[in-house]
Amino acid sequence: MSIVKKENSLSKWYLPGILKGLGITFRNLIKNLTSRDEMLTLNYPEEKYEYGPRFKGNHVLTVKKDGSLRCTACMLCATNCPADCITIVAAEHDDPSVEKYPINYEIDILRCVFCGFCEEACPVDAIRMGPEWQVPGVNGASFINNISELAYRPSLGGGIKTVLDDEERIKGGI
Amino acid sequence: MPKCTVNGIEVEVKDGATVIEAFMKTNESIAHYCWHPGLSVAGVCRMCMVEIEGNPRLQIACNTPVQDGMVVYNNSEKVKEAVEWTLKFHLINHPLDCPICDQAGECGLQEYYMSHGSYDSEMAERKVKKHKVVDLGEKVVLDTERCILCSRCVRFTDEVTKTNELGIFNRGDRSEIGTFENRPLNNKYSLNTVDICPVGALTSKDFRFRQRVWFLKSFETICQGCSAGCNVQAYYNENGFYRVKPVPNEEVNGHWMCDEGRDVYKFANKEHRLVSGIKKEDSGLSHMAPGAAAVQLREDLSDTKKAALVLTGQYTTEEYLKFVDSFTKNYGNEVYHWINNPKTFDDFDGILLRGDKNPNTVGLLRVLEGKGIKSSWADLEEKLNSGQIEHLVVAGPENLAVFPDLEEKVTLFGQAQKLTVLTPVKSKFYESADYQIPMKSFMEKDGTFVNHKGIEQKLGRGPIVVSQALTLLDLSMILDGSDFISVNSASMGGSL
Repeated sequence: MSIVKKENSLSKWYLPGILKGLGITFRNLIKNLTSRDEMLTLNYPEEKYEYGPRFKGNHVLTVKKDGSLRCTACMLCATNCPADCITIVAAEHDDPSVEKYPINYEIDILRCVFCGFCEEACPVDAIRMGPEWQVPGVNGASFINNISELAYRPSLGGGIKTVLDDEERIKGGI
Repeated sequence: MPKCTVNGIEVEVKDGATVIEAFMKTNESIAHYCWHPGLSVAGVCRMCMVEIEGNPRLQIACNTPVQDGMVVYNNSEKVKEAVEWTLKFHLINHPLDCPICDQAGECGLQEYYMSHGSYDSEMAERKVKKHKVVDLGEKVVLDTERCILCSRCVRFTDEVTKTNELGIFNRGDRSEIGTFENRPLNNKYSLNTVDICPVGALTSKDFRFRQRVWFLKSFETICQGCSAGCNVQAYYNENGFYRVKPVPNEEVNGHWMCDEGRDVYKFANKEHRLVSGIKKEDSGLSHMAPGAAAVQLREDLSDTKKAALVLTGQYTTEEYLKFVDSFTKNYGNEVYHWINNPKTFDDFDGILLRGDKNPNTVGLLRVLEGKGIKSSWADLEEKLNSGQIEHLVVAGPENLAVFPDLEEKVTLFGQAQKLTVLTPVKSKFYESADYQIPMKSFMEKDGTFVNHKGIEQKLGRGPIVVSQALTLLDLSMILDGSDFISVNSASMGGSL
């Protein structure tokens, strides 16, 4: 970085610059004290900035209308994942029209590069990236998110539902 | 020997060969679902259309015999269009649920669907719904929606096993593969139907949903399950082995293998393996590195006057040669052959399965003959009963499932003052042994198996599961006085 110094008569003196700077500081101090709603900084971590719904943060597994996972364990997300952070264990479902479902779905969020390729690969809209991203943990293991974290964490309010359900899909002959 | 020209390449085929065989010989690609080299010709899928010069209409390659001077090609626009339309007919009722289908990644239909790329169906009618997840038998699951009715599986049960369990029921677009009432698909070769199914209609219960095929790597080796010596392809990833499939070899197994042989990967996986050398001491069992246990075994053996060796037919010929050599040189001529099932040893079911459940009995017998060893099992029993054997070394089996007499035999061996078991797999029956030394499984080593016919076949080395485990070659070097194992034999190549 290069600094361009403007040579003029004022910059040769020490005090004018200091006073100008302090003027800005005091102006903001008074503004923040009198109208606190317009203050730009947040009291993090008590207050957090809300990101738009399209922000690609932590993953969400969507659920069907009955609350079960939308995911069919096809592993296309795990195949497409450049960071190799998705682990899925598939199993046979009792309902033959569902056939396959994940009994374990883990995302190592520390490995994840938040590229959104999993979202793009998913053929059934089962994985999305949500607006949350600041999740603290005490050790590495607490950053491996499992199904209960990905689909049913308290902030999701019982899971995010997809528009089209299996029953409707089968009825429509899709 | 008629000659024909396939896509401009001249090729000579056997008398009576069909055009598709000429294509296979030239390695030119030709779409086909119902034709299989090991089965009769059905000509039902209509995918192998070819243009024959001088013939105005397209013909199917699988049912057209080659005539001398025939000029055939399948790369013209006319053929491509015909194949595309045939594919569209196949896809009318196919659910195209590739993401949850286990065949995805190795499916003929998926391959051509992707290459022809008609993502929007031109059919206005709804797809016919059929049965999903139909339980056909102990090992196979059927999805009738995905089935394209190529009839390969039906012909397999007709022609190869001659058990006729499968049939095509109903007519038209309601046709389905199925079994008859109270006659499930339970023959000993049922999983071959899964291999030959060109789509994901037939799936194996063992492999179903456990792994996507594109995550698996593979290598070719020889089946360890019996003395037939079928050529197989073993599939694995970093978590271990997942499945075994047959590799065609006309001389040995044709195109097939038995269902028992498909379980041979299981004992090679880490959860079944002995991973450290174990020595029984007064204070209990002490675990140590396999090499260290082998060195202690050598010191123990050098004090012994009367040592004997028991071999099973589950190791490679190279190992037998070297190990029998160094054992007899150091400790005398007491070498015995453990036959696991003497009553059914010479059985043969007419297709592949042999009663001798060891892959290399012939190799072992050849080595013993070469060394002039003619000891019988009765001698060993007598010597053990009279307490003449001080230290017995047993090169135990890998595949414990085919050794029903294991417990009985280990109790018999326990009559020796000291017992050493060399074994790739752990078993609770070995806990009484003084030494347990882990060996490599057949998936992890080079070598030769000699099958019942005397055909020598090389094993293909796969990934190393237990890198510290020894082979009999390593052990014979240690018995000969070397204190270290060469880098060459210890763990070269990939590791899991």
